[in-house]
Amino acid sequence: MKTITFNQKKTSQIALEFDELIPDEVYSWEKADFEKYMVPIGNSRFPLTDYFDIEVEGSAESPEEIKMILNGDYGRVKYIGTKMGAGEIIVNGPVDLHCGSQMKGGSILVNGDAESYAGREMEGGSLTIMGNTREFCGCSYIGDWRGMNGGTITIHGNAGKQLGECLSGGSIYVKGDCDILAGIHMTKGFIQIDGDVTRWPGGQMKNGDIVINGELGRLLEGFVQQEIVENPEIDGKDFSGKYIKYTGDIALNGKGRLWLDAEKNRHLLY
Amino acid sequence: MEYVLKNGIVYDPANKVAGEKKDVMFKDGKIVDSVSADAKVLDVTDKIVMPAGIDPHAHVAGPKLVVGRIYRPEDSRKGVTHKTDILRSESGFSIPSCPSTGYRYSRMGYGTVVEAAVPPLEAKHTHEEINSTPNLDIVPLSLFGNNWFVLQYAKQNQIEDLAGFIAAWLRLAKCYGVKIVNPCGSEAWGWGMNVHGLDDPAPYWDVTGREVVTALAKANEMLGLPHSVHVHPNDLGHPGNYPTTVSTMEALKDIEKNSTVRGQTMHLTHAQFHAYGGTSWRDADSGADYIADYVNNNDHVTIDVGQVTLDETTTMTADAPMEFDLYKLSGLKWANKDVELETAAGIVPVIYSGKAPVNSLQWAIGLELFLKVNDPWKVCLTTDHPNAGPFIRYPRIISWLMSNERRQEMMDNREVHPWSHRRTSLASLEREYDFNEIATITRAGPAKIYGFQDRGALTPGFNADIAVFDINPNDIDPSRNHEAIEKGFSSAMYTIKDGEILVKDGEIVKVVKSHTLWTDVKGMEEQEKRVMDRVMPDFTKYYTIKFENYQVHDKYLPNPIVTEVQAGK
Repeated sequence: MKTITFNQKKTSQIALEFDELIPDEVYSWEKADFEKYMVPIGNSRFPLTDYFDIEVEGSAESPEEIKMILNGDYGRVKYIGTKMGAGEIIVNGPVDLHCGSQMKGGSILVNGDAESYAGREMEGGSLTIMGNTREFCGCSYIGDWRGMNGGTITIHGNAGKQLGECLSGGSIYVKGDCDILAGIHMTKGFIQIDGDVTRWPGGQMKNGDIVINGELGRLLEGFVQQEIVENPEIDGKDFSGKYIKYTGDIALNGKGRLWLDAEKNRHLLY
Repeated sequence: MEYVLKNGIVYDPANKVAGEKKDVMFKDGKIVDSVSADAKVLDVTDKIVMPAGIDPHAHVAGPKLVVGRIYRPEDSRKGVTHKTDILRSESGFSIPSCPSTGYRYSRMGYGTVVEAAVPPLEAKHTHEEINSTPNLDIVPLSLFGNNWFVLQYAKQNQIEDLAGFIAAWLRLAKCYGVKIVNPCGSEAWGWGMNVHGLDDPAPYWDVTGREVVTALAKANEMLGLPHSVHVHPNDLGHPGNYPTTVSTMEALKDIEKNSTVRGQTMHLTHAQFHAYGGTSWRDADSGADYIADYVNNNDHVTIDVGQVTLDETTTMTADAPMEFDLYKLSGLKWANKDVELETAAGIVPVIYSGKAPVNSLQWAIGLELFLKVNDPWKVCLTTDHPNAGPFIRYPRIISWLMSNERRQEMMDNREVHPWSHRRTSLASLEREYDFNEIATITRAGPAKIYGFQDRGALTPGFNADIAVFDINPNDIDPSRNHEAIEKGFSSAMYTIKDGEILVKDGEIVKVVKSHTLWTDVKGMEEQEKRVMDRVMPDFTKYYTIKFENYQVHDKYLPNPIVTEVQAGK
């Protein structure tokens, strides 16, 4: 097992890019390798050690044996864990855009907030955000119609707009509240939001499940109320209590399922 | 500067050189017979030497490309490379950036590319993109098949005036030849409609595709343009469309050729998309036999194939109603563009998959066409880039053409769906191309079809546009080494353009500006004046821009190569 610890010395106004610093790439690196590494910042590269003190302990034969601990404010560090396939990254602070994007395996724990595009096009592994995240968590890339298709994202705080846009697999859990259009264009997969949702979850969804345990502000017209189900099993998971089951989005002949806590959403019953 | 390419194995079909070990010499940008003792020697012992490649039909510059790049950022992020001391950064897979396009063709040993669809209204921008595309000579063809003025002339069968219009508009748009796309169909799209078959009139015009394509071909020959009409017939991509394609070729059969530099009066482009049998995608099958038989038995037609490469790509064509059909089939996103009095365009991403029955059928039909057209001078290698796949797959297609074993393997191990052999005759075709035939379909043939008198051959006096590939033809069995063939043709050992070494060992070592080829017709001044007098009132009334802002001024072509043609001769 090898532990690589980054202790921040200073921040940058222009974001650093960490997509080359994933366990898959650095598992065999020693301290000297980090000391000569030039990190991309804007259109240039600068010594990584200008920004971090780096400690390396132990040894590793494969990415699975890597634990990276990033201490400090990573609010201007993009692409942390992008495309990682194995190993563990723990960030003790906030992270910038694209954390865990295109991730294929391993785990990322963010003990702070995450900027937009966290878990974009994620294919596997787990991404846990202890704070809030902003827009497009678990979404597709701009213009693409293929979003996250595997793995698990857990957000202990609140999520921004268009959570799980174009989701085609995997699971997203939000412990807090969520903004508009969660699961838009979703074709498969599972989203569970324990807090309140402002409006319009599941717009143009074709399949998959969205569970809302809090209060929904406004429902799209493309969802048809089917029945009230007690203690339903949804996507292989058991839920307790009464849920209003909707299907939609009928605008696209969608067969998606939207489950709302019946007690908290009595205003939507008819 | 003088050079000798020493001891290469030369394939130069235009000069009937097929695999001879000989030296190729060039000086001051031209092929020469001899050089002085001071000439620099490049040792290419036992390497393949050919003229630089010529792509006779692709979409590499113009408004469709821009729309495609804007609405497909997910494509642009593929193939990204960082800038170097001599190269700009690259981006894009199916719709690469302009510099990427130039670099990638150059790495494959290509030197000339035809941009096959330029709406005159957007020609300025097309030329700006051409100027941003290095290392290539680019040959723009102008769209005429749905132009309102052309529809008028065709309806009234005023061939001489139509010829004057073409002469004037080629000069205005600085284009090389006449392109026809779904004649009358793209105009019908302005009303949300299409035409079906050659005799379905455009709404409100009372003129048919047959009349338009025939009139344009006659006018083309009246002018004696270096290239024939370049035809994308009606019904592209529709099951059961091969009769329309055959009818289109037959419609132009008796038009008298007026050119000594080419053999055909019609070039049928991306024939694969026009060679389908059946009545729907449920019972679709191959119509390649009918197309190939026709081409084999008639000398007035040449084709390029538009081979499906089984990639995710971006379709873009001035056949806008077809793109709408494709959008409804695929369910993916769609962009539509109207070009006033001239044409329309559609853009839809497509994922050609070997698992998909229809895509596998298309793949097989393209290969059937290559293998069933007997004379390699009548067929050219294209993917209709990016419509059937990106041009960077040409080496892979070459490997398929040279290896029956590889084709059978793909069908046997289900890399392609069984429709590929159940609904076509591909499995029974054992023909394998040799290197000379590859040089013909990628170099000598396209040069002849376009009437080029300065490229496509290693003739003394021609441009020193040369490609060298790290393949020893005496030491490789292409049938069994398809991977080596693909690798060898993907990465030229040398690409030489106008006598300058642009690529060495697969890496670009020099970047030069593009040239733009266009045709200046002389001897039609009287007809052109008559035409301008007639069209200007309608131009002023219907176009959104003034005529003064329409024409492409010389400053848009910093490096022109002008082919002057004396009309009627």
